[in-house]
Amino acid sequence: MKGIEKLGREETGGISRRRFLARGAAFAFAAAVTGPGLTVLSGCGGGSGSGALKFWQFYGPGGEVEAQGKWFEDAVKGWNQGHDTKIELQYIPVTEYLNGSKLQTAFSSNEGPDLFIISPGDFLRYYNGGVLQDLTPYIEDEARNDLYPNVMATREVEGKIFGIPMEVEPMAMYYSVKAFEDAGLSEADIPETWDQLLDVAGRLKKGNTFGLLFDTNPGYYQNFTWYPFMWQGGGDAVAPSGNESAFDSKGAVQALQFWQDAIESGVAPRKALGTGANDIVANLAQGHAAIQNCGIWAVAALEANAPDFEYGTFKLPLPPGGEYTTDLGGWAFVANSKGQNPEEAGRFCAWALASMSESSIGRGVDWIAGADSTVAPRKSVQRQAEQQGAFDEGPMKFFREEAFPGGRGEPRYTPEVYKAVSDAIQAVQLDGQSAQGQADAAAEKIDTFLQTYDGARIV
Amino acid sequence: MSAGASETHYRRGLNRRHREWLAAALFVAPDALGLLVFLGVPMVLALGLGFFEVTGFGGIAFAGLDNYKKMFVDPLFLDSLKVTVTYVVGFVVGVFVVSLGLALLVQQKIPFVGFFRSMFFLPHVVSLVVVGLVWQFMLTDGVGVVNQVLEAVGIGGRSWLGDPQFALATVVLVSIWFFMGYYMIIFLAGLQEIPREYYDAAKIDGARSWQLFRHITWPLLKPTSFFVLLVSTITGVAGLQAFDLIYVMTKGGPANSTSLGIFYIYQQAFQFNDYGYAAAMSSFLVLLLLAATALMFVLTKGGRFETE
Amino acid sequence: MISSAFKGPDEVNSVNLIPSAPTLDNFRYVFTEVPFLRYMLNSLFVATTVTVAALWFHSMAAYALARLRFPGRDVLFFAIFSTLLVALPIILVPLFILVRELGMLDSYVGLIVPAIFNAFGIFLLRQFYLGMPQELEDAAFVDGCGYWGVYWHVILPLSRPILAALAVFFFLANWNSFLWPLTITQNQDLWMIQVAISSFQTQYAGAWNYIMAAATVAAIPTMALFFVFQRQLVESIKTSGFK
Repeated sequence: MKGIEKLGREETGGISRRRFLARGAAFAFAAAVTGPGLTVLSGCGGGSGSGALKFWQFYGPGGEVEAQGKWFEDAVKGWNQGHDTKIELQYIPVTEYLNGSKLQTAFSSNEGPDLFIISPGDFLRYYNGGVLQDLTPYIEDEARNDLYPNVMATREVEGKIFGIPMEVEPMAMYYSVKAFEDAGLSEADIPETWDQLLDVAGRLKKGNTFGLLFDTNPGYYQNFTWYPFMWQGGGDAVAPSGNESAFDSKGAVQALQFWQDAIESGVAPRKALGTGANDIVANLAQGHAAIQNCGIWAVAALEANAPDFEYGTFKLPLPPGGEYTTDLGGWAFVANSKGQNPEEAGRFCAWALASMSESSIGRGVDWIAGADSTVAPRKSVQRQAEQQGAFDEGPMKFFREEAFPGGRGEPRYTPEVYKAVSDAIQAVQLDGQSAQGQADAAAEKIDTFLQTYDGARIV
Repeated sequence: MSAGASETHYRRGLNRRHREWLAAALFVAPDALGLLVFLGVPMVLALGLGFFEVTGFGGIAFAGLDNYKKMFVDPLFLDSLKVTVTYVVGFVVGVFVVSLGLALLVQQKIPFVGFFRSMFFLPHVVSLVVVGLVWQFMLTDGVGVVNQVLEAVGIGGRSWLGDPQFALATVVLVSIWFFMGYYMIIFLAGLQEIPREYYDAAKIDGARSWQLFRHITWPLLKPTSFFVLLVSTITGVAGLQAFDLIYVMTKGGPANSTSLGIFYIYQQAFQFNDYGYAAAMSSFLVLLLLAATALMFVLTKGGRFETE
Repeated sequence: MISSAFKGPDEVNSVNLIPSAPTLDNFRYVFTEVPFLRYMLNSLFVATTVTVAALWFHSMAAYALARLRFPGRDVLFFAIFSTLLVALPIILVPLFILVRELGMLDSYVGLIVPAIFNAFGIFLLRQFYLGMPQELEDAAFVDGCGYWGVYWHVILPLSRPILAALAVFFFLANWNSFLWPLTITQNQDLWMIQVAISSFQTQYAGAWNYIMAAATVAAIPTMALFFVFQRQLVESIKTSGFK
């Protein structure tokens, strides 16, 4: 049987009988002294295999956009052809990757993957945990200047790069052309302010269709989609100094109020369909809402799964006196500094996404304008994709020329800051609590946390 | 296996009492050892972490009672306890009544009884992810099937999962729906154990069905009822299913109204990397459960109901 | 669910019960794009093995705990019972380390062995054995049976109904188990079916049409099993010694 074979091989190859017994003893010891025992155990596991470097990600064989899984395979194949240290892709189902326990369990027991991908929201957790490898030494100066500084800001600590983004994903509003027509609205009615948005949404609400959809599920994603509305009015969760919260500000309070108004006026649902408001096919395309707040990836998702659906896009509307801004999400390659071979893993990240070689740039173009639909994190990639005409028309042109400029990188708040903001959004949006009261409470929680925080700078 | 063989081997040298001890030890050994290694030891290790600060990346430091102190001033944890108690009470009472009712119903000799049993059990066959998703459709704001039906009786148009007033109750109902077939089977097995002669004799004496239930079924079903009560309580507090269902349907929202203790603990451990704190909170939950079950065991003489 | 399994991706989340354009594409996709059959066989193998081993061990332990007298019996039972009180996510990390140290990561052994031990089954069986009439056991002792003989010839046949119910539960639990198989397997060949189903979700949109098709396929064996066993549950009463 396969399992037995595998077991046998591992024992003869990795652990001798004596060591095995010694570990048994260590385990018994561990049981007696609990906590410290756990570190004794986890201390002996890391990097035990001498095999290929493991690369964990969530673009897999069952994925909806086939080209995305293939892009990862091609990248790894390209590296394996020219290098002695091989890399092996391992696929983790996405819900588990985003919110599950598999990564944490692996890292806690020193079995973390050598390479993996993270979003800005996760950055500090891993950085402060000491598992991110400094990638700066592997990136040439020219390539470094090629990366957009505003995109890199959330992946750097003290001038060093710890993650290389593969994409930049701005947020905007999508609307159903048919819903607009049915309500007697035209492009001239596209809202530019919050008030106009609520008004138009009210006119679009009809039968089974809500006028407007913001995310309703508590989580990192909801915070991510809400931040731009806070920023537009000058609010912030953590002040630029990094020492205190700026959450009890007008900007934050009015953004909280805005989302509450959308729910209480009845134009927005209290619950999105499918995976949530990030899922455009389940909501906008199937008529759950006529306007949806979503990111650039929705372009690719609609093309793959609702190719006949007619939609338009517009920039996030503004509060009175507000300044346009949007949130730029996106995932980045990182290397595990406690993995089997952090240096080669680091080299791979640079080789794949941040080298001036033609293949590296081509790979970037393939992702942003082929496998996925996003803006590029590098000038050269953006330039080449534009030359190929990827941003010449339609929604991609809109995102490149209108939504993206003035965008701000997704903040890398720690879990404590995230949770304080999330609780405030939820309480105001769905539980009818006072925006000012919740903002004050969240600001206080964040301030208390910042007083004792000693990790890398948050902003 | 070896139990029989070794027992004959020792038969001559040991008296009956000792032979009984030895046989018991051999019978219990495989499970006891397995449970010790694969659950007992990890449990002690995991709960022991409550006295440490653990980062989830190998960092660990002794923290004394810090995590426990933090726990009792953390409003989110205290709220999650309230949510847990509400959920468990609603779930346990509901599932007990419904599944016992169903079991009594489907043990009758009625046509297509196999079909009905399967229908009631059906929810449990499908994975919870899918269950949660299907309910999400049916409970869709305004337009879902549930709202359409309720519209007819004048209470439609609610957001059953998106309104903090209703979300927890909705989750309780879905949990009951999911588990009713499961406990129905257990009750059914319990009912089958009751000798038919008791009923026949009582019927000859002219007993009505309520009296049959009150004087035969209920007392003789006690060991089964005890099991269902205890296990459903544990499932409600510490079960993976409650957690999964919350995860798929509400993610603890809206506004933390469905944030069960187990959900909050999971969040602290795997999303916020605070294992020590998660361990402290789980120890507390385990202690509560332990106290509750110990009480039940004492009251029922170890689930034997010997006085009856 | 079944209705959704036949819907196209653009319709799967809509509320209409009958698909407007029923399609078998989802099933075709599920079976051709990923080795779904292999994942089903993995689940079948693991769930069957666990079920058989668990029923055997648990019925032995429960017999001793319910019918034999020995010192510390109630304490032992309570200790066994208390392992029910901790949820898997809490012990996930130490258990993972332990299983790694035993060399069981990424193997069928690792999928099977830890899943066998579960106080739930012991508890349920004990409750049933407590209620069994003593006379049958005594008769067997008179016939010269040892404890093993009593267990094998008297207790096991008598507990067929409850064992049938438990078999369904165990099989189902393992067929639907997700967290543990996901945690300890890296080799995709070892994936179990629920892990495979969850792999149809992508970052921004669940491919619900595929998920529904996969879940429908996955529910067929368990439903069939239940149908067979629920008959057994009732039939066996007629042949047991109770009447």
